[in-house]
Amino acid sequence: MPKSQNIRILIADDERSIRQFLKISLSSSGYDIFEAATGKEVLEGSVSFHPDVIILDLGLPDMDGLDVIRDIRIRAKTPIIILSVREEVPDKVAALDAGADDYLTKPFSITELLARLKAVMRRLLPADQKEVYQVDKLAIDITKRQVLVNGNPVNLTPTEYDVLKLLILHAGRVLTHKQILQEVWNKDEALEGVFHLLRVTISNLRSKIEPDPDRPVCILTEPGIGYRLRSDK
Amino acid sequence: MKKIKIKGKKIRVYLVSISLVLMVTVFGEFVKRDLEPANIVMFYLLVIVISAVRWGKGPALTTSILGVLCFDFFLVPPFLTLSIASIHYIFTFFVFLVVGLIVSTLASRMREQTIQARKQEARASALYHLSDDLAGSNTFEEALEIIQRNVGRIFQCTVAIYLPVGETLELNNRDPGFPLGEYEKETAVWVFHHARSSRGRTDSTRPGKMYFVPFKTPQEVIGVMGMSFPDERDAISSDEEDLLNALVNQAAIAIQRAKLAEETRHIEVMRQTEKLQAALLNSISHDLRTPMVSITGTLTTLLDNSTALDHATQKELLQTANEDADRLNRIVGNLLDMTKMETGVLRINKQPCELRDLIGASLEQLKDRTGNRIIRIDIPKDLPEISVDFSFMMKAFFNIIDNAVKYSPADTPIHIKAAAGRNKIDIEVKDQGFGIAPNDLKRIFDKFYRAEKPQNISGTGLGLSICKGIVEAHNGRITVRNNPDKGVTFMITLPLDDKRD
Repeated sequence: MPKSQNIRILIADDERSIRQFLKISLSSSGYDIFEAATGKEVLEGSVSFHPDVIILDLGLPDMDGLDVIRDIRIRAKTPIIILSVREEVPDKVAALDAGADDYLTKPFSITELLARLKAVMRRLLPADQKEVYQVDKLAIDITKRQVLVNGNPVNLTPTEYDVLKLLILHAGRVLTHKQILQEVWNKDEALEGVFHLLRVTISNLRSKIEPDPDRPVCILTEPGIGYRLRSDK
Repeated sequence: MKKIKIKGKKIRVYLVSISLVLMVTVFGEFVKRDLEPANIVMFYLLVIVISAVRWGKGPALTTSILGVLCFDFFLVPPFLTLSIASIHYIFTFFVFLVVGLIVSTLASRMREQTIQARKQEARASALYHLSDDLAGSNTFEEALEIIQRNVGRIFQCTVAIYLPVGETLELNNRDPGFPLGEYEKETAVWVFHHARSSRGRTDSTRPGKMYFVPFKTPQEVIGVMGMSFPDERDAISSDEEDLLNALVNQAAIAIQRAKLAEETRHIEVMRQTEKLQAALLNSISHDLRTPMVSITGTLTTLLDNSTALDHATQKELLQTANEDADRLNRIVGNLLDMTKMETGVLRINKQPCELRDLIGASLEQLKDRTGNRIIRIDIPKDLPEISVDFSFMMKAFFNIIDNAVKYSPADTPIHIKAAAGRNKIDIEVKDQGFGIAPNDLKRIFDKFYRAEKPQNISGTGLGLSICKGIVEAHNGRITVRNNPDKGVTFMITLPLDDKRD
């Protein structure tokens, strides 16, 4: 593959050491890197560098991270992965609502970052008209509306099927409560009744597909944010 | 004004006494033909006794003398002169006068004693009130305020309090109207240094009288109280000094007690702060540095070209360093949470969720540390949802389960179970580990407190106190007990939302 075909990543963090570690690790994985230390540089770079993915620290010195995301979203659909320190659940939800695709909590391992990158970039690939998607032991056949666990078909209600399909299509990526409720129920999460339905559906799905529903390893809960289908095995 | 009033009252008392004598005389005029004069004397004596008991010595004497004169003038023949017809009236007059004088003296003394008793009663009640009020005072300022107010009320005077400030004695507080001259200050200083009360001196510039008393405790003089009587008549009498001394002694003890209590409180706060800081420093230096040692060690080993390590060894080193970095991150997180809780910026964002999900997510996050541990989970499928801050509550369970893993042998199971009660959910995390010494049980949730016994287990002593903070922020309760056989059980009770569907 010629070098110009490499996937281009914009790294935005005001800490030089973090940018350096990301640059070295990601370059060695075959990505082209552009560094930005301020919100202004991110916005400039997002135009001039034509990044395929943006890794954005929410705490840049000159601009509010949410404004940076909104600014990018006006012009482009470039996937954005947020870096933030822990415990900022409302901030993360706000960033995801503003259009970010996923988040990572500092400190993070490069393995996690690579998995997130892969998951968000799946969105970039041309939508193939695949009929069967496979994530680890889970398989979903879109045309037959059938889900297989370890090759065995599982009986799901239509709602359970819709939720699982959504998760499988976004395998490895976080889906917020809001996103799932809008996609599956076409309702706003402010309605507590629907939110409750979502929790019950997830619980039922786990009973049907998880090896141990008490300790889920497929459908993971993102505290206060939403759910994520594990795809890194 | 007051003086005039008192004078008027006295004059009225004399007038009433005189008119009583005149009334008896008029009565005598009517009955003198039927009654022996000696019998009429009895009526005069009655009036004398009444005067003596009601109004004291003066009116009684007046009544006696006037009575003898009227008796002689109007009722003893020859009438309307002071001369007398029969010699035996001399005896009547003499006995009349003597009996009158004795009765008036005795009666007025009895009256004085009654008044004195009433005064003592008033003092006793004043003292009682003061000691009551002082007992309720918690601070030095409060005690002073109570004394100032009560002394002013009991003695009808204005009060000033002088307290030592460094080497000098300064006016601490005074009632409006208390004179502010150099003289008062000098007297107060004299009283302070000599530990003796002083009446000060009265001159034309100070119409009223002053009185200065030291606040004496058995050890020292802790201040001086000045009293200024606007009306000389109200000035302290010598027997009132006793009451004042009693009051001031009590006050001094109260002030001293309040002062000591304040000092003790201050020292206790200082001690706690110091202890906490020492513990924090200790914790930081040890728990933060230990992982740093391994991380730095690993990095420098790999940086140093002279050490030749095969790939597998390098990986092993890096893995340990990575685990230690995780540990470091957790410690920093715990310290942050603790700080947030103490400064009150912990924001709890409650959302309904399933306990099963909460426990499952906690275990998922703990999976590197639990390894192959058998963890039994008994959560009823129909358990009602709870309303909690998912990520904080997850941290609480993370810490408790991590604690169970750390303090029990690797081959023993951990049992997590839950049950719904009335408006609450009870959750138990039970291990079969080393248990907790009874001494430690009470303090296990205290900050920086770590059980004495298993010393080879690392930790900051923050995890459980954070759990407690989180659970209590959800209006829940966390307790711990030793199991009858072995190990401990942590019990968490969380309230259920009232609105349930």
